[in-house]
Amino acid sequence: MYAIRKPPRLALLCAALLMAACKQIATQADDPYDIGKMDLKPVPAKVTSERHKGPFAEGNALSMGAELKPLDPAPVKTVRLDTTHKIIEIAPGIKFSAWTFGDQVPGPTIRARVGDKIRFSMTNRSDEVMPGVQFVAAPMMHSMDFHAAMVSPQDKYRSIAPGQTIEFEFTVNYPGVFMFHCGTPMILEHIASGMYGALIVEPREGYPTKADREYMVVQSEFYAKPDPQQRKVDGQPLYVLDGENLKKAASSYTVFNGYLNGMVKKPLPAKPGERVRLFVLNVGPSKTSSFHVVGTIFDRVYIEGNPDNQFRGMQTVLLGSSNSAIVEFMIPEAGQYIMVDHHFANASQGAIGLVDAGEVKPKEKADLEHHNMPATATPTDPAAVQGKLDFESKCLACHSIGRGKKLGPDLLGVTKRRSDEWLRKWLATPEKMLETDADAKAMLKEYNNIPMPNQNLSSAEIDRYMKYFQWVDSQPIGVVHSGEGGH
Amino acid sequence: MRIILCAGGLLLALHAVPASACGHCVEDKVAAVYDHAAAQQAFARKQQVAFFGIDGPLMLDEQTRRDLEALARGIPLVDQASVRISLESASLSVAFDPRRASFAQVQRALERKLESKKLTLLPLRVMEGPAKIAQPPQ
Repeated sequence: MYAIRKPPRLALLCAALLMAACKQIATQADDPYDIGKMDLKPVPAKVTSERHKGPFAEGNALSMGAELKPLDPAPVKTVRLDTTHKIIEIAPGIKFSAWTFGDQVPGPTIRARVGDKIRFSMTNRSDEVMPGVQFVAAPMMHSMDFHAAMVSPQDKYRSIAPGQTIEFEFTVNYPGVFMFHCGTPMILEHIASGMYGALIVEPREGYPTKADREYMVVQSEFYAKPDPQQRKVDGQPLYVLDGENLKKAASSYTVFNGYLNGMVKKPLPAKPGERVRLFVLNVGPSKTSSFHVVGTIFDRVYIEGNPDNQFRGMQTVLLGSSNSAIVEFMIPEAGQYIMVDHHFANASQGAIGLVDAGEVKPKEKADLEHHNMPATATPTDPAAVQGKLDFESKCLACHSIGRGKKLGPDLLGVTKRRSDEWLRKWLATPEKMLETDADAKAMLKEYNNIPMPNQNLSSAEIDRYMKYFQWVDSQPIGVVHSGEGGH
Repeated sequence: MRIILCAGGLLLALHAVPASACGHCVEDKVAAVYDHAAAQQAFARKQQVAFFGIDGPLMLDEQTRRDLEALARGIPLVDQASVRISLESASLSVAFDPRRASFAQVQRALERKLESKKLTLLPLRVMEGPAKIAQPPQ
């Protein structure tokens, strides 16, 4: 017989230590944030006086609008984003003197994967005259600050003069949705003028879920005032940066993807049963966003766009200036799911958009469409005609006339439901009415807490709207109806 | 006591710089006083544009700006209309004719004027033509 001998205590201790050490080594080997494996030695930036003359934005990794292209598999992303000064429209009739990356606001979205190299170049073309517009801001120095990069700001984020080109490269080491912006003083003015965008860095192994739709949503503020020199662009007044309100963070518009209620007019398509992934970035420059989608719950939220920072079942995600998140949600049924900054002062300034998963047709509306409707009539009073034009350019996204409810009420018969005084107050200062007026409060509740935005209407403009609404309500029933504008 | 209060006020004033870039980068300081139209005019006259950092006690008020502009404009070597000053970024730019004076001579002439304010200049960059920004000659 063999006696079973106990192992000596020292041997047990050594074995335990060895196992712990092995585990530690294995953990380090798996660490996706192992500093030792990151590329932290980018080559110096190069500044030349060679002016690029081709397209303002170039690169396979770029998406120009909300809809995101799939990841380009190339491990090196060559990206060009030149700076320009140009007039952009930020709301119907509001032509704003902007500064851009890639000649658009927001700048194009760059998409890469952890470990990819971004080979970036930028020519300062703020001194180039844009076709058809002569009122752009004076040329000035600009720079590029990538939040996704780990580099020396003094080397890579140097300001360059008009006509100069800067080239630098860096490796993206962390997954996320990162802001880029101009970092030249005054930064506040450069960002408020439109110099920002997003760089999406996917995890090396991709996202944990499969999405059917991917969209980029950039929230930002505009601070606009009429041009003191009263210049006009295409017959519309020019708007310039309002420096005083900018310092007070008193914005004129708070928008998604650079346009007032922009994604109401151009909703993001989806279908029932699909998983939608939104890459949401709040670039500010000064406001916080409470991003929410009416009608659904965020199944997953990756704070800062990194799946390691995951929350489940969220209603709203809070984003400070330059914060981001990826939000994923299912579309339960046909309908229009409203993206909104739940800080409703911001929503009332234009931070509203739609995910359009098909129209739910109310029975009465479906019935209406089976009738042969007569051609819509047109007013003859010039004020009412102008009111009609204003309505069609500014209100159709949320209202109809005789075609049923949209985001807001059908305005057919509105002059019979409300007094002139009430309507005028409502058009002039809806946010004040929402604080004090019971009917306004009830309406807000009825329409999913989406407030009527203050359009900064003059009394002359309100007169024209009133003339148009009064004319509409003086016509025989069924004769006047709005077009199918908006969504 | 008054000296302490004044010193405290100065520190607060210096600290209360408006939201801007970090201000440490040379190019930030250059950008703060870069005026494209003034630079183009200078190049048309075969002038160059000199950029300096301002070192020393600097009050961030309009009077200080006016005083510094007046001092810089009082120097025959610089183009009077070209003087640009940013108190927030503590930088200054002037156009000068390199055929009449060197960068170093312009710096010395400016510093003599700024002596009364206990300010000195740090040479940052010189712009020799459109899109040509270089280190100033040693």
